[in-house]
Amino acid sequence: MTESSTLPMQEPMLSVRGIYKSFSLNAVLKGIDLDVHPGEVMALIGGNGAGKSTLMKIIMGIYQPDRGDVLIAGEKAVLGKPSAALAKGIYLVPQEPMLFPNMTVEENVLIGFSEPKAELRRRLSGLIKQLNWKVDLHRKAGGLSIAEQQLVEILRGLLRNARILILDEPTSALTFDEVEALFRIIADLREKNISMIYITHRLTEVFEIATHVSIMRDGVITLCGPVGDFTREMLVQGLLPPDTEQGEALVCIPPDYQGREPMLRLEGYTGYGFCDISFEVYPGEILGLAGVVGAGRTELATTIFGRDSVKSGKVFLDGEDITGLSTKKIIDKGINYVPEDRHLNGIFGISSVSSNISAAHLGQLGRFLLDHRQETELTRRYIEDFRIKVTGQDQLVSSLSGGNQQKVVIGRVLCTQPKLVILDEPTRGIDAAARGDVYAIIHKLREQGVAVLLISSDMEEIVELSDRAVTMYQGRINQSFAKCNITQDNLMAASFGVCKEGARNA
Amino acid sequence: MLNLKKILKSREITSLAFVVLLFVGVGAINPNFLSSQNIMLSLNGSVVFTMLAVGIAFVIITAEIDVSVGATLGLSAAVSATLLRDGAPWGVAISAALAVGLVVGLINGFGVVVLKIPSIIMTLGVNGVVRGLCYVYTNGKWVENLPFAYKALSQAMVGGMTWFYLGALLLTVAIHLFLTRTRWGRYFAAVGDNAGGATLIGIPVGRTKMVGFVLCALMAAVAGLMYVSRIGFVTPTAGNGYEMKAIAACVLGGVSLAGGIGSVVGAALGAIIMASIGRILVFLQFSSDYDNTITGILLITIVVVDALMQRRAAEKARRERLTARIAEPAAAKGGEEQ
Amino acid sequence: MKLTKIKKKLWRWETSLVVLLLLEIVVFGALNPRFLKPRVLLGSINDFMSICVIALFVTFVLITGGMDIQAGSIVGLTSISIGLLWQDFGMNIWAAALLSLIIGALCGALSGFFVAYTDVQPMVVTLGGSFLYSGLAIAVTNLSATESYKGISGFPSYFTGFSKFRLLGVPSQVLIFLALIVLSYLLLHKTKYGRSVFLCGVNRNAAEYSGINTRLVMMSTYVLSGISASLAGIILTSYLGTAKADFGKELTLPIITAVVLGGTSNLGGRGGVIGTALAALVIGIMRFGLSMAGLNTQYLDIPVGLLLIVAVAFRGLTGRSKWLGSLLQKLRERGKNKSKVSA
Repeated sequence: MTESSTLPMQEPMLSVRGIYKSFSLNAVLKGIDLDVHPGEVMALIGGNGAGKSTLMKIIMGIYQPDRGDVLIAGEKAVLGKPSAALAKGIYLVPQEPMLFPNMTVEENVLIGFSEPKAELRRRLSGLIKQLNWKVDLHRKAGGLSIAEQQLVEILRGLLRNARILILDEPTSALTFDEVEALFRIIADLREKNISMIYITHRLTEVFEIATHVSIMRDGVITLCGPVGDFTREMLVQGLLPPDTEQGEALVCIPPDYQGREPMLRLEGYTGYGFCDISFEVYPGEILGLAGVVGAGRTELATTIFGRDSVKSGKVFLDGEDITGLSTKKIIDKGINYVPEDRHLNGIFGISSVSSNISAAHLGQLGRFLLDHRQETELTRRYIEDFRIKVTGQDQLVSSLSGGNQQKVVIGRVLCTQPKLVILDEPTRGIDAAARGDVYAIIHKLREQGVAVLLISSDMEEIVELSDRAVTMYQGRINQSFAKCNITQDNLMAASFGVCKEGARNA
Repeated sequence: MLNLKKILKSREITSLAFVVLLFVGVGAINPNFLSSQNIMLSLNGSVVFTMLAVGIAFVIITAEIDVSVGATLGLSAAVSATLLRDGAPWGVAISAALAVGLVVGLINGFGVVVLKIPSIIMTLGVNGVVRGLCYVYTNGKWVENLPFAYKALSQAMVGGMTWFYLGALLLTVAIHLFLTRTRWGRYFAAVGDNAGGATLIGIPVGRTKMVGFVLCALMAAVAGLMYVSRIGFVTPTAGNGYEMKAIAACVLGGVSLAGGIGSVVGAALGAIIMASIGRILVFLQFSSDYDNTITGILLITIVVVDALMQRRAAEKARRERLTARIAEPAAAKGGEEQ
Repeated sequence: MKLTKIKKKLWRWETSLVVLLLLEIVVFGALNPRFLKPRVLLGSINDFMSICVIALFVTFVLITGGMDIQAGSIVGLTSISIGLLWQDFGMNIWAAALLSLIIGALCGALSGFFVAYTDVQPMVVTLGGSFLYSGLAIAVTNLSATESYKGISGFPSYFTGFSKFRLLGVPSQVLIFLALIVLSYLLLHKTKYGRSVFLCGVNRNAAEYSGINTRLVMMSTYVLSGISASLAGIILTSYLGTAKADFGKELTLPIITAVVLGGTSNLGGRGGVIGTALAALVIGIMRFGLSMAGLNTQYLDIPVGLLLIVAVAFRGLTGRSKWLGSLLQKLRERGKNKSKVSA
């Protein structure tokens, strides 16, 4: 038995050979080769649409490749369905853990096994002890944090004797502490000779946790090898298309604050997920609001937008107290919000482009009957101004690319002619060209004297666009920066709760 | 395990407490209601609904719905009654009823699982078809003159309880144990709780749902057999509207239509409530015509209160989670929050 | 302007309904030539007017992602209310009809309120509603001096007449149906309100973020369906000359069939009243034609049920995405539930 359980290091645990996959005419994977050895953490990086998730679904047996093989411990695997992949020891920890919210942690882990419960419980407690994790087995999974849910997912995988764990952007919804805990767990698992594929967007994590790294772009692997062979810059190069010139950063002159009244003013604003927030946004200014996911930025924005109740404090728009108004009234007063989660709160997928764009502006389109002429005109204007690629105004938004969907959402928000626009992660998951277009739109708003509150986890974005910036950390504003002090390092440090000397105060 | 049991139990205990309260409350007004004889009559009278509700709970727990059980009951009752009337052996009649259930269940399951038709649409359609077949089969006539021995079956008692109800009780407990204790049984709740997650860990979602539909229809067929024995004749409209009452029984018993929550024990308790309303009204000297009104009010009140309570709990949990993220105020600031 | 895929699809769907309708007329005409007489054919609507009227507005409910299985019970409640108000309370018949219309609206509003403001599944609420309203109808009957099984009759001829007269040979019910089609078409497809109905069904969260009061919109669709059920009850009472509590009992299957067969998705967000109107005619003519061809009326649920299943299966098979599509759909629904609008 020893021969099979301890493989020689030359033999990869998972080997993907020449995988091709197309959806209709769209080639998503164009010959992927990838090896992961026992105890390796293979970081897999790539932009949206690079084909990472398709590759993972092929490894998991959810999709069938057009060509190519998946080898597990040297054996060719026929992975017709997820259960076959599970049997082969592959376990995927999805980005959004897929637990059973109404079952306990223990039930979630133990479900689907044929062995007797007692035996399983013994193995589970042994496993938990061995890893020295703290898990309350009797809590309902629905009440766990995302990090805890991931832990449960990992336990599930390990109890199934998974030899290959796939972690799909595990840190995207985690707090800083939780990330640290997860990294310790990954280190533990490495000790146990588990192979891992670690999908991420964060380059820093690659150097922190991975042993090897692969970069995918347009369905091919552009770069692959031990982490030590690469620098951050090399990875960035691998992610960029070969002939990209670095776009010239737009030069901004800081706006003149002299004698200006703020458009938005928060005073000790406190709600669920944030506390004692005070800052101003001026007309014609872009205020960057940086911070990690979970710092309370989205909660702050949605509460201003009337989606949740205010605990204390005030918010003023153009001098007028608008605390606690409904979303409709807030929009009427002149604030609009581009939501963080486009699919959940932004787009009307199976509706036309025009009805998406006019949705927040319906009140003004005719008295009772909908003024279709005006709607068409409105839509035409935004399609042209924002260069939205559509086949027609009645194309369904779900069939647009992410970038164009985002432009549609921005168009809808701007329809209402807001005095303050809150953009929450406006370029998440959209391609470079669309990103440029979105930046141009934001700059144009600034020129028109609109106040812009830009929420982003992308520090580069904050640096490039903001006139001033504040960072949020664990529900509070912990630092603010004048234009000259906004650097990625400063923002990043403050976002993780580290206040640098000299960067203080705007 | 403990925690889940607590929750499941609490849902069932709420239903049980409600049943007890209902009986005691009515008993306070009319003590005759609390006589053991009447209580037994109430229990024995709920046997058909118990079978239907327990069956339908299988489907509801997997987050689907089956509104065809009323017609399934009708057709299986008509088929078995006709065979019994014509002197066929009981085994044949029973097998025929079960075969009806099996076929209807397979058709429902096929439509929902394979053809991906939403279950409410599929089973609504099947309900119409099966009810129509009921008319075709009986030619619109009543099936009467059934063998006395078969009718007497429903009257056979064991300690004040009919054998039928005892059987239903044991079956319910057995199914409850199956659903909560066995590997396969847990699949039903898992599928209803999170079908996507179930697929990823290798639970056969489609097959589980299919089994749910088949079991549901089989239970409806069993209910049909009991119906024949209890009522003693079968009309073409037998069981008309029972599907709605069975669903109401499930909801009253704490089975969530969103799937994943609830148990067959709750469904059985709900069936007792459903079956007792008419009797209660009589004991309170109201016309039993108010049966539907009370059912409707009860149903809406219970689901609304349940939904509001669940929403409040979820909202509270969300707010606690969000509040927990806020750091202690910086040294300079006064902290009024924590 | 280019037609999008979905519009093309719907258009094709509606065309196929027209073809189906013509086919039915040809077949039934061949079986029984009397069927083809305009007087008979047009008059057939009297037999299934309730389905036509109610289905038009239940379409609104389904487009918001809701479900309405209570409309049938409101028909009976309306009918018996008219009778009672007229006979036992001595009310003018038109005032009685108006009042029962308001009762229908209130019934819809009650269920709609619970659906929109407590997030209980619409199926459960309207199930409770169907018990409640049919129960109330029976309870109301007991208030009357007349025995319930007989119903209340003897209405003035001007009331029973309005559903029977013909204008240039066209039955008044056809005219009413046409008017309602125009009305509901304008309301759903041409007004701001109609647009918000669609937006609620496509993505309720996004609608909320666009400043639309989705709760009010959702509730209003149940009010509309309640009013339409009442209207159907009034017409039925007028046409039959009798008010009875159990009218409309068997309407749930044909109503939902008409809406879904008409191309409206029970998941919400897509559909339209023209399709519903055509589908209601397809179902109605089928029932009428089959019974004229000598089929027992009680068998008529068989073809209707089959039609429902076949239509949905057919549409699903042609326009269905892969395994993952359904998984994503589930995930999205889950996400939606998670972030249900608060406050």
